[in-house]
Amino acid sequence: MALIERFQKTTDIGFWEGQIPMSYIYTVGRAGEKFFRELINGKIFGAKCEACNITYVPAKIFCEKCFARLEDKYLDVGTNGKVYTFTQCYETYEGIRKEKPSIVAVIQIDGTQGFLVHWLGEIDFEKVSIGMPVEAVFKAKKDREGSILDIKYFKPIK
Amino acid sequence: MRRVAIVGAGLTKFYRNTQETPKELAYEATKMALDSCEMKLSDIDCVVHGTAPDAFDGVHMKGEYLSDGSGAYRKPYMRHFVGGGTGVLSPIHGWFHVASGMFDTCLVVAEEKMSSAYPHPAGAFLTIFDHTTEQPLYPTLIYIFAIEMNRFMTTHGYRKEDIALVAVKNKKNAMDHPSAQLPAEITVQDVLNSEIMAWPVNRLDISPTSDGAACVVLAAEHVARRITEKPIWIDGCGWSLDTAYWTTRDLYYPDYLEVAARQAYKMAGIKEPSKEIHIAEPYDPFTYKELHHIEGLMLAPRGKSVQMLVDGHFNRNGNLPTSPSGGLLGVGNPIAAAGLMKVIELYLQLKGTAGKRQVPGNPTCGVANAWGDLMQVGTVVVLRS
Ligand SMILES: [Zn+2]
Repeated sequence: MALIERFQKTTDIGFWEGQIPMSYIYTVGRAGEKFFRELINGKIFGAKCEACNITYVPAKIFCEKCFARLEDKYLDVGTNGKVYTFTQCYETYEGIRKEKPSIVAVIQIDGTQGFLVHWLGEIDFEKVSIGMPVEAVFKAKKDREGSILDIKYFKPIK
Repeated sequence: MRRVAIVGAGLTKFYRNTQETPKELAYEATKMALDSCEMKLSDIDCVVHGTAPDAFDGVHMKGEYLSDGSGAYRKPYMRHFVGGGTGVLSPIHGWFHVASGMFDTCLVVAEEKMSSAYPHPAGAFLTIFDHTTEQPLYPTLIYIFAIEMNRFMTTHGYRKEDIALVAVKNKKNAMDHPSAQLPAEITVQDVLNSEIMAWPVNRLDISPTSDGAACVVLAAEHVARRITEKPIWIDGCGWSLDTAYWTTRDLYYPDYLEVAARQAYKMAGIKEPSKEIHIAEPYDPFTYKELHHIEGLMLAPRGKSVQMLVDGHFNRNGNLPTSPSGGLLGVGNPIAAAGLMKVIELYLQLKGTAGKRQVPGNPTCGVANAWGDLMQVGTVVVLRS
């Protein structure tokens, strides 16, 4: 079999350039309507399954364990949590080196079994630890648009 | 259920950027597997194909595209796909076909060509994450794994420099593998000094982008005994899926794997895996993942795998050799083909035909696993001679 270098100049080998040209508009869904609209209000919403005693974050319309419907079980879960685990990443998803590495964490929202993935801010990487209390920092109200990015990042609770 | 054996195997070399098209890769592996047991395409009753995201090869519905290269012309043909777990689901899928009594022979083919994707195949993973809650944060696979590795290390008090020994071991094992893409003699320092990708993951903790294909030939017992004096039996199959909400899992322990392993061990009649299994091919796309999976396969107590690694337990001449092939870290990681490569390694080892890679002590029982989907699927096979 022939070994060829990553195509930069393709003079020695036949090739064809192509794309799969599709783009998408994703609905946020029924539970998403609640979750993302409440982000505009600076709130994080989950959904509680009474039978399993589990609070999911973000809110969802059903419990995956018992299949109960949770649409009338949405609740405000506050904006505080704890770092469940974290990393600092140096490359983009396209494999390009970042100018400045970013800290990413999985945050368990207090009082729930739910988690959000988000950035950490206002802290040096060396100071981050598992179990550290953090809170969501929202964009200014006028800039919120019902996106997970309405939360700028989570920061340590002093 | 009928007993099913592997009677032949084929594997291309793993490269980054092969000239061959995906279906040409599939053809080379399939042809090699048929030749290895002196069978013809006309001896084959059905074909199953494992291949991971369409986005890598850039061919939508690539199962159909790959069918002719996989020997499926006018035969019953079915594709399966569970992300990174695909390559070990492949022999299980073939096993269904033969164990059921529907077919006497089955080709099991796995292929991946990751190098076609630009600017980087890792970009294809962005769209596996939740489109509204996670994709806006531009997650990468590496950072997700770094997050899991951190939790695994912190929970057990493992040291990064000890985990790095997995790369040292596997890349060295791969030096004896003719298909290997990244065989090397390296040191722990080399791993620690390699480029940091997402703390605590460095460049040499990660398997490469690869192109390649693999194939095994399955046969029902009465046919297998005519083909070879030493069929290698698929004695255990297991698969399971944990929650799609990956963040809610106890990331320090692979429950998805333990459930699958228990299913496979039960089928194979294995009660004490760490004693009854002689050789293992745990899925190792990252260094820590081999250890995570050794614990999930119950081949080491939780929190003890690193000490056993340091003590040489998992070396090729150790008590329980793991990834004697060289694994994904050394041989390469064309996703579905890499999983099947691990099964092929068990086949060769149990047959006693692994050449320079042969582990001592005439092993008779081996286990392989793979892992994938949204980091929640476990696939396990147990083979016996
Ligand atoms: Zn429930």
